[in-house]
Amino acid sequence: MKICLLSWEFPPRIVGGIARHVLGLAKALARERHNVCVVTLDFPGLPDYEEVEGIAVYRTKTEVGHPNFLTWSFLFNHFLEKQLAEANKKFDFDIIHIHDWLVAPSGIGFKHFLDKPLVCTMHSTEHGRTGLHNPDSYMIDGMEWWACYEAMRIIVTSNSMKGEVCGHFQVSSDKVDVIPNAIEAMKYEVQTDRWGVKRRFGVGDHEKLVLYVGRLVPQKGVEYLIRAVPRISRRLPEAKFVIVGEGWMRQHLEWLADQTGQRWRVRFTGFISDEELVALTKSADVMVVPSVYEPFGIVALEAMAAGVPIVASRVGGLAEVIEHDKTGVYIYPRSLDSVAWGVERVLSDPGYRDWIVKNALEAVKNRFSWQTVARQTIDVYKRVLGKG
Amino acid sequence: MSGYPPVSPPPELPEEFRFLCMLHNVGATRAERGLTVEEIAKWTNKELSELQEYLVKLQKLGYIQSFNKEGFDRYYVSVTGIRKVLTLYS
Repeated sequence: MKICLLSWEFPPRIVGGIARHVLGLAKALARERHNVCVVTLDFPGLPDYEEVEGIAVYRTKTEVGHPNFLTWSFLFNHFLEKQLAEANKKFDFDIIHIHDWLVAPSGIGFKHFLDKPLVCTMHSTEHGRTGLHNPDSYMIDGMEWWACYEAMRIIVTSNSMKGEVCGHFQVSSDKVDVIPNAIEAMKYEVQTDRWGVKRRFGVGDHEKLVLYVGRLVPQKGVEYLIRAVPRISRRLPEAKFVIVGEGWMRQHLEWLADQTGQRWRVRFTGFISDEELVALTKSADVMVVPSVYEPFGIVALEAMAAGVPIVASRVGGLAEVIEHDKTGVYIYPRSLDSVAWGVERVLSDPGYRDWIVKNALEAVKNRFSWQTVARQTIDVYKRVLGKG
Repeated sequence: MSGYPPVSPPPELPEEFRFLCMLHNVGATRAERGLTVEEIAKWTNKELSELQEYLVKLQKLGYIQSFNKEGFDRYYVSVTGIRKVLTLYS
């Protein structure tokens, strides 16, 4: 099958989970001997075209810009459309698969111009991310509805997202397939100098590393972890906190960390490389995912594969990934007491910790492989093409 | 102080971050597309003094880079800055 994946982010242009999802899916589809092409936006220092592990990657320059985000997004869609047309001359795609609303205009245009079937993965919704609060967010909401309407089939990564998409956009549940995210568990099967890594991030040999990985934006709930620092450290004086990621809230969160009176316990790293992230994750004593909105929560899977116990809010897709008291520990979103309780639960009982880690590793290997995701996605494509 | 940080109202998007997004969206994301302060002022409709303040701050944080070409300083969003901007939109 000749497949075009259209996404505004693709490594190393990594924003959230979409880049990792598209890379994992593309590689797995290529391993299944399909012709896979990714059309995405450019990134400084990278060529306009390259082949990455059997995937043809086109990186598109947006030659004309505009300060307004939505205007810019329509402009880059124009250039993506042009790039799609060029790529199609070479590949003659069977299917086009868009990821989120940002690339919907070019994907939909392509569908109509060339009469190609369109599949859309909805990774999240504006309604869930920020709520509908200004004209821009209403427009994004409209674009998401439009993408769902135009797509022949919609893929979501959790039942929670299926409910959100069907409920909010009035989409028939028959049109929506749930295919979970996955990870490359192999990535975590590397030797790590745990103590050396901890020391590099300011965590001593006798101290416990509490890790957060994600964007620094309200929906991730990281402020609840930072505000819980005094409660956690009262129970676990050896706790240190490493906050990995970037986002517009960083300044506010650093201020919040100052307000705890225990700023010395909290380290913000900003964006770090994939290799460093693997090493850091493997070196953590616990990972906290305090999200208030989470369509899937791929970071939870990464911790599970790395052999790190996970403490996560019971929201959205996280509630489907983790089994409480078996593969992780659930906490209430927005509750400082609950965050502190969860971290203590895991760190104060080594036997319990080991049991959680062992179960989580098995669950990840059995349920969340990219090969499974690729095969399920191919089944969706076959249905769309009338071959299923 | 009780040791518990106060519940704070949701923060507003910082102005310098809005500015960084604008610079990103107009396409100043590599040296060859770098813009002078005057050009940035035209694109963003902001006063030069305000712009200078943002540029100094963002450069200090590593989100913007600059170079001098033919006597004019030109500014563009760094890779770290691009990643920072993208966190808003995903």
